[in-house]
This record gives sequence, structure tokens and C-alpha cells, in this order.
Amino acid sequence: MKSARNRSLAEIASLVVILTLIIIFFSQASPIFLTQRNLDNMLLDITTVGILAVFTTLLMIGGGLDLSVGSTVALCGVVIGALQGTWGILPAAAFAVAIGALVGLANGFLVTYVGINPLITTLGMLSIARGLAFVFSDGLTIPVFDSEGTQFDAYNTFTQFGEGQVFGIATPVFIMFVLFILGLLILQFTSYGRAMYAIGGNAQASQLAGLSVRRYRMIAYMLSGLSAGIAAVLLTSRLYAADPRAAPAMELTVITAVVLGGISLAGGKGTLIGTALGVLILTTLLNGMKLLSTSTDAQNIAQGVVLLLAVGLDQLRTRDINWTAWLRGSRLMPDGTKAIAKGD
Amino acid sequence: MLEMRHIRKSFYGVKVLDDVSINLYPGETLALLGENGAGKSTLIKILNGDYSRDAGDVILDGVPVHFAEPRDAEGAGIRMIYQELHYAPELSVAENLLLGRLPHRQGLLGWMIDWNAAREQAREALKLLNVNIDPMTKMRDLSVVEREIIEIVKALSRKARIIVMDEPTAALTPPEVQQLFGIIRDLCKQGIGIIYISHRLDEVFQIAQRVTVLRDGKHVDTRPIAEMTHKALVHMMVGRDIEERAEVRKGTAAIQLGDRLLEVQGLAKTGAFEDISFHVRAGEIVALFGLLGAGHNILTQTIFGIEKADSGNVHIGGHPVQVASPQDAKRAGIGFVPLDRKVNGLVLGMSVQKNITLSNWSTLAPFGIFRPKKEMHNTRHWVDKLGIRMAGGIETHTRYLSGGNQQKVVLARWLEANVRVLLLNEPTWGVDVGARSDIYDQLEALAAQGLAILIVSSDIEEVLTVSHRILTIYKGHLTGEFMQSEATQENLLHAAAGGTL
Repeated sequence: MKSARNRSLAEIASLVVILTLIIIFFSQASPIFLTQRNLDNMLLDITTVGILAVFTTLLMIGGGLDLSVGSTVALCGVVIGALQGTWGILPAAAFAVAIGALVGLANGFLVTYVGINPLITTLGMLSIARGLAFVFSDGLTIPVFDSEGTQFDAYNTFTQFGEGQVFGIATPVFIMFVLFILGLLILQFTSYGRAMYAIGGNAQASQLAGLSVRRYRMIAYMLSGLSAGIAAVLLTSRLYAADPRAAPAMELTVITAVVLGGISLAGGKGTLIGTALGVLILTTLLNGMKLLSTSTDAQNIAQGVVLLLAVGLDQLRTRDINWTAWLRGSRLMPDGTKAIAKGD
Repeated sequence: MLEMRHIRKSFYGVKVLDDVSINLYPGETLALLGENGAGKSTLIKILNGDYSRDAGDVILDGVPVHFAEPRDAEGAGIRMIYQELHYAPELSVAENLLLGRLPHRQGLLGWMIDWNAAREQAREALKLLNVNIDPMTKMRDLSVVEREIIEIVKALSRKARIIVMDEPTAALTPPEVQQLFGIIRDLCKQGIGIIYISHRLDEVFQIAQRVTVLRDGKHVDTRPIAEMTHKALVHMMVGRDIEERAEVRKGTAAIQLGDRLLEVQGLAKTGAFEDISFHVRAGEIVALFGLLGAGHNILTQTIFGIEKADSGNVHIGGHPVQVASPQDAKRAGIGFVPLDRKVNGLVLGMSVQKNITLSNWSTLAPFGIFRPKKEMHNTRHWVDKLGIRMAGGIETHTRYLSGGNQQKVVLARWLEANVRVLLLNEPTWGVDVGARSDIYDQLEALAAQGLAILIVSSDIEEVLTVSHRILTIYKGHLTGEFMQSEATQENLLHAAAGGTL
């Protein structure tokens, strides 16, 4: 439908406007904001949220939800820290990614085959993964570098994930871009992407059209967990440490950004372009507030407000409210006559 | 008592109603007819205050009125009874009738409901229509027609003088329809005006005194029903003649039948159906006729793998198949057009193209990557062939299509998936006359190409019109088999109501 496309274009345009306003505001308010150094840092800071947001977008278009991504990042990081000595750093990193996928698979299994509500399932997994991260690390931050000096090459390679460059771009940023492009291609050109839109739009009809709805959903949850594993490797490499407290409330940031970008909680619609803008708006806002030395508490409040605003706007948009009538108090007709009274 | 004069309404620049006028006298039933998209529901919603009008007058008892919201219309004595009823299933009839104004006790116990008074008030209300329903029955324990009657009683008890009924018989069995008509005649005797919307022309001839026909948002004509014939009405609605299909077909030569493409042997499911055996040959259209709840819907769902059978087997093209899921059914070459296309058939927020190709990714997306040109080409093929009409091309979301065109999209999906056996569940519910005729034409053409088609229907006109052979089902048992030439309304209804032959 023409109007549907126009509407999504209008949404994208309004996000661009919001982003521009935020950038103008902070560039005036803080002299540091527009410096190369701050922008580089910001881009690097975005990577964890950005990578998670790509696959959260896929999942949510398919009508799913994953609250456990932040905890899974911490768990996967701790796995690297705990196994680096016995397995070697690179196998440990690969294993961490596999653990991420496994956590996602567990979520998917519980949601699709056992039939637990996704919110509850992944809320439970949020708690489990965070708990396991503390158990495996004894609650301590584990340093991740070549402490014994025996695996120089391996650690050197591992460090490249966080600190290296590809084509002049920081590796985590590069990987984020690659995954983003991959996500775009999946949604636009593959049957898997089409399945996400179809299942999120109407799962029952998709099932009756002969799609393996459960399998598609399982895979979406698995990819979400897998992306947490990848994010964990990049984060651990960048920080030289695995912290069971890493990525605190990251799921909230990711979902806020994604919903802000126009992905509906009900599924079936939205684009990755919107998500990218949502991520940029939210992280720019938080970064700017940090530069103005706003407290983290205020940042948390701002993030919550943005989430509720985004969801509220989504609700109002889908309800098609006749604002003009509402503004008129709804008892006056367009021609100015008063509606007849009740009980007449 | 009611007049709507020269009503105009546009949505986003599209004229939906263009100079439409209707009038209604006390004690009269006015049938409002028109294909889907003709503007019936918009007109009714304007009357009810859901929409505002762009131009024209609504005149009630000689006084111009404006309804800004449904409450205003209700206050003026106008009441809608929609196809989908709104009630609280777990509450009693009395509670539903008195919702929002249940009587309270006196004095200190004023916060408590006075159940005795409530029961009495409900009984009084039910007396208005002389219906024998215990006011303490839970709403969900009532039959569909009883719920509709409760809805009418509710309207009456709130002093409704004009009642608008939107396809009230869609979910009713023939005896229930007659019961409802009895009630409508009673209402008319009490001086209440009824606006009756239906797709079933035979009902209109039974119940209405006058008929107003709309087409493409324009007022075609208003006439006493006694002056009309079935054919003339259809002509007014569609704007062209639709052949009397059954007549034409009886004259044509015998159709060419092939092998048994679908064969069902001893299929049983506890509580639903037992020992069902039948077959459908290539080139044949078989109808499975039964009243609501006879087990025919669940039978097709079982063949398609949505429900699981307890025993029995299904053969496709002479080979036994195990169908445990719709995926299996698709692989075996079975397509299924479900009962409620908006809930079970379409992804409403997706385009016509994506809905049509939804079941054929194995061909259109080899290795999971779509071939856009081929996808578009195939979509265009079906859009042309089935005559799917939409405002904005194949990118239009299916939400914006009329019922008949939506149904064609679901049909096209299975044709695109290249199935050999097609199961259709009430294929023309809520589909207007013109699109219905298109769908029947297509089904005949498909059968002629060698598909085996099984139609499940509770619509006796449809069954008599489109099928070559008719099976009747009653309480989960097949009770009769008729060739089209020997089937009549009487013997079908007799068999479908459990009468032995």
C-alpha cells in the first residue's frame, strides 16, 4: 500500500529529525561532543548494543522477545575468562560464542515447544545467566591477558577483536557493520527474513500456509543468543577482562532502541534502518548526558522515559485516533452543531 | 421515522458514499443489500455515530440529528447488533442484560447487588419477546441464536426503536434462522423498525418488506420486495447478469473424472467424527454439507494435519500419506482454505504478493534467497487469472482488500504451491455475490484442469450450485451421498439433519 510505505518513510524521517536535533543540542552544550575522539569512542561504545539490536530486531519482527541478552553477554565473557588457562584463549572464545547460541536455543525451546511466554522465559534466563556468571567467576572480575606469557600469538589475535582495525575501522565497529548489512540482506531477500515478517504478522496463518513456525522461531532465539556471544568476545577483548557485572540492564537499552526504531512489540513490522536510527538516537542521548556530567541515575530515568514514549507512540499510531474530533471535544460536529443529548 | 438523505462520505479522497438516501418506517424491515465495499457498513456506522458524514442529513421523527458517538445514537433509540456479539461469556444472562445498571440493595447494604431484583428485571425484559430463557444461565451455555436474542432483548430494554442487524444469520442453522425471523416479525408488530443487512438473498425475500441496494457507494434503487425477483436483485447489486449456474451446468455434458486423488478410509476422531470414508477424483468437486458443528470443519482440519486422527488413513494420488502437520500436507500436495481468512488465512500486514507466494518458497527462494522477478511474474499470473482487484497493485497489504479478493489471495497461494487436492472451508462466507461467482468459476476451471476439490459448507445454495457430488454429514457420521442431479434442498437438509434415507 502506498500509504503504508509513506507512513514508514515518515517514521524514518522523523527519527532522522530527532537524531539531528539531539546532535545539534549536545554539540552546542558540550565542546567535546563533536570531537573526533568522542565520536570514535561513541561508535565503539555502540557496538555491543548495535550487535544485539540487529538480532533482537529479527526476533521481534518475528513476534519474539529476549530479555536475557545482557546477562548472556556477561556469562559468555566469564566463560572466556574461566577457560582461557585450560583451553587456550581462542578455543575459549569460540566456546563462549557457542554457549551464547546454546542459551538462545534454550530460550527458543522453552518458548516454542514448551510454550512458556517469551517475557517470562527470557526473564528467567536473565536471572539464570547472570547467576551462572557470578558462580563461574566467584563474583570477581577475571583479567584476560597473557599472564603466563605462553600463548603470545593467540592472545595477540584475541586482542585484535577488540583493538584491531579492518580497513581503517575499529574491528568491533566493522563487525557490527557487517552483521547489520547481513541482517538487512536477510530481512530483504531471504525466505528466513520473510518468515519473520509472516510469523510476526500472523503466526497461525503462517502455520496453516505450511511454514515450520516453531523451527523459524527457535532459530531466531538462537541467533539472538549467538549475537550475545559475539558481543561478549568483542567486549572482553576490548576490556582485557571478564566481568560478571558486564552489560548491566543491556536488554533494556537494546529493546528501547529497537522499539524507538519502529519495531512493534506485536511483531510483523519494522526495519533495520529504523533500528539503526533508534540505536544512534538512544546512545547519542546517553553519551551526551554523560559529557554534561549527568548522573547515571538521570541517564537511567531518561532511558526509561524514552522506552515508554516509544511504546506509547506505537500504541497511539496503531489505534488510529481521530485527533481532530478529540480536540474538538468530540461532542461538537465539524459543522459546529452540538450533538444531541443522551436520552433524547 | 428515520431518514438519511444525500449522505456523502470520503476516506482519504476516496468516495465511499455518494449521495445515498434511505428511509425507514415504523414496523418495517428494510433490507440493505450490496456487495462488499458497496458502502453498507459505512452508512450504518454513520447512522451509529462511529463516523461523521461529509454531507447530507439524518432525520429522526422529522428532526435533524447529529450523532458524534455511538452513545448518542443509543440515546436516540438506535441499536446495532453486529455479526460478532459482544458479551461476557462467564456472566449470567441477567448480568449481561443489566450490565452497568444492576439493581442495588437499600440502605447500609447499598454496595451489594440485589440479585432477586436483578432476576426479576431480567425476566421482565425477556418477556418483551416471550422467550423462555432462564436469566441465571451463563451466557456461554446459550446457543448462538439465543445470544443474539439476548442482544435484541438488551436493545429493547434500553428503549431501542430502530435495530440494525448486520448479517445476523451468518452463524445460525436453518431452524435457528426461522426462530430469529419469528422474533423479527414480533419486533415489527411492536412498531420497531429493522434495518437488515445480509448476503443471503433468500432470507431477504422471506423477511424484508422493502429493499435498498447500494453499489460502489451509490444508491441504486429502493423497491418493495414483492416487485423483485432473485435475478433482478442480483443484477442491481452486481450491475450485470450472473448466470444461473446450476441450470447451466445441468445441461452440460458429463465432466471427465480421473483417478481418486484424495481417498479417506475409516477416519475417526473421538468426539468429532467416526468411520469417515470417501474419495474425490481428479476433476471432481465434492461438497461436504452439514449444519454447524456436524464435524465437517474438524474433518478437513484433520486431513490437513491441524488436528490428529485417532485411526484411519488418507491416500493422496493412490499412495498412503502420513499428515501430522500442515507442512506434511503441503508436501503431500494438499491445500487448505480455512474458515476465517483474516485469522487463519492471511498475514494482513503483508502485501498481496507476499501472501500469494507464502507457500511456495521452495521454488521461488532456492537456497533461501528470493528470485524477485520470478516471484513478481508468478504473482501477476494469479492476480490476472483469478481477477484479484486491489487499489494499489501487488504491494497492497491484504488488509485493504474486500472479502472476496482476500479469499482469492488465499486460493492463489495454494495454486502457486501447485497442490493437487484443495480443501475449502466455507469458501464464500462474507464474500459478495460477484466475487462468489468468480470463485465458483475458478473452482470449476481448476477441477477441469484435474484438481480434486473438497468444499465444506453449511450454505445449501452454494452446495447445490458448485458441486458435482454432495456428501452430507450429521454428528460426525456421513449420512448421505447425492449426485448433483438428484440433490434438492429438501433431501440434503433431511440427510444433514440426521434423517435416514
